[in-house]
Amino acid sequence: MNEISYRPYNLIAELTYRCPLKCPYCSNPLDLTNYTETLTTEDWCSAFEQAEKLGVVHLGLTGGEPSTRSDLEVLVKHASELQLYTHLVTAGMPIDAKRLAVLAKYGLCSVQLSVQDSTPEMSDTIAGTKSFDRKRVFAEEVRALDLPLVLNVVLHRENLENLPEIISMASDYGAHRLELANTQYHGWALKNRAALLPTLDQLKIASRVVQDSRLLYPEMEILFVLPDYYSERPKPCMGGWAQNTMIITPNGRVLPCHNAGTLTELEFWRIPENSLDDCWTTSPGMNTFRGYEWMKDPCKSCEHRERDFGGCRCQAFALTGDMAATDPACSLSPHHPEIEKARDESIQSAPSFVYRDSVKKMGGKI
Amino acid sequence: MHKGTLTKEEMKTWVRNRYYYQTRIPKKDSSILTKSDDPDFRRDWVRRVRDHDGDEKNTGGLELWLRLGDGVGLNRAEVSSLTNVLPGVRRACDAYVEFVNGHSLLESVAASLTELSAGPLMGQRITAFENHYTWIEPSALDYFRSRTSQAPRDAQEGLEFVLGNAKTDKDHIACLAALTRKCEILWELLDGVEWAQSRPKIVDRARMRKNELMIVLPERAIELNSTGMEILEACKGEATVNKIAEAMMNRHNTIETVFTDTYEFLEKMKSAGALEYI
Repeated sequence: MNEISYRPYNLIAELTYRCPLKCPYCSNPLDLTNYTETLTTEDWCSAFEQAEKLGVVHLGLTGGEPSTRSDLEVLVKHASELQLYTHLVTAGMPIDAKRLAVLAKYGLCSVQLSVQDSTPEMSDTIAGTKSFDRKRVFAEEVRALDLPLVLNVVLHRENLENLPEIISMASDYGAHRLELANTQYHGWALKNRAALLPTLDQLKIASRVVQDSRLLYPEMEILFVLPDYYSERPKPCMGGWAQNTMIITPNGRVLPCHNAGTLTELEFWRIPENSLDDCWTTSPGMNTFRGYEWMKDPCKSCEHRERDFGGCRCQAFALTGDMAATDPACSLSPHHPEIEKARDESIQSAPSFVYRDSVKKMGGKI
Repeated sequence: MHKGTLTKEEMKTWVRNRYYYQTRIPKKDSSILTKSDDPDFRRDWVRRVRDHDGDEKNTGGLELWLRLGDGVGLNRAEVSSLTNVLPGVRRACDAYVEFVNGHSLLESVAASLTELSAGPLMGQRITAFENHYTWIEPSALDYFRSRTSQAPRDAQEGLEFVLGNAKTDKDHIACLAALTRKCEILWELLDGVEWAQSRPKIVDRARMRKNELMIVLPERAIELNSTGMEILEACKGEATVNKIAEAMMNRHNTIETVFTDTYEFLEKMKSAGALEYI
């Protein structure tokens, strides 16, 4: 068996869950009211310092919408002094050109912009708010500063058919990479699963479109993987539980993935009460699914376990109530019929979206 | 090549690497021989092996290609040792032999039908060389001259065999697929040669970490060893892939595989998005 090394290369800093968008597949926790208290600027700066010592190389500043924090400039400056490769994950609003220029000056390395679809009408419908035009301008602002731009588009049944236009838009925006992310059915997205889950036919066409587009736009890396609901084997979630990535939530909880908070039985620790090293290395929650000993059959004796680590713990818990169960996305799982049922239902016509409003829930204004 | 825009260095790279393809042809044809139960077919087909290997020493197509190598200024021992063949070229040519090993007689013969366009092409090539690359001695072009008569004859025989033996729709589809695959292999060979002339440059979005040997990109971090770092430091958009590999070979002449290792490393870095080519 391969020896696993647990070095956190990647820190995802969820600076806040506030967000001007209201996407129906929002992957942030359902209990937003628990996150109105957030870490201070000093807490974050100290976390970055500790993270760098633990081996972190990449820092993703995300949310929610990170630019709703007024101290973003300070955080970027501090991170870049620590030589962290700092990446801003944003909806392109409320941040403006002036602020972006300051971030670039302070050493921001790259920007990931989310866009919901290829036309203002469709994109704004999914975002639940007017945002498409601003995002287009923001992409121009990013490229004008010579910052590398990654475009991220969450795919689902309502926008999959616009894939050729989405890809051509990414190329027009000057993105060096396009991430076509299939909706993951956690949190708010699970509520909307029937409205979001694509059909197999849609996905087959999409795969072809992506293959052709890679030839058409050789300068742009296009990331597209079949959603786990349609693949025989589950995804190696986060490349393995608590192996290379750590997430810090807005209130300082240190998690192995941004959904791990849904595993209510697990004890994760928080900064600043604990050191980041203790949160990563010692906290009980982080260690629960490291290695292979925790596995049950069919994972325990499966030849694929070192590749997929039994799939997603959060999905296993959400769909089976047992967080150590095999991810139901795996065809070997006894709960796999639940996934097949959802696939069958996708052929039916879809219900409408249930939108999410973080501002209403958390109070205040953006 | 036919427009006359190749530099001497580029011409040498093509000749050196294409020689690897030439050396695979008699192996591929020998493999085809083993597939046939028909003495008449084998008697005809074995001529292709003899065309390349010659009826006696220092004759035949391979020898003629080495003379082309001499003519463009390559070291004959280096060319025939095959040590400095580009990895992409090697992969493409090996893939052809493997394809034939793993497929039927009919499909293997169908794959050889790229020869259909070789006859007219050889004529154009000779004219182009005589007009544009006057630094190459005319006698070095004897390989192309020999193929002007051999290629059409080979192609005609191959075509007759395929037309006579591909009877069902399934056969037709398999033959087309084989020929398509062969075209892809030839394309990959040329891609491999072209790439060696390009100038790699570390992309602007990459950052080198100072306290450890690592290149960091927006979506990944790649740990390097000191040799990897040395190669990347040469990727400034000035030196070609070829030049960088040669420099590495001169500096690390104790490591036998350093030339191809350098290529393979650069290929990996390219597919990881760390390099662009100008």
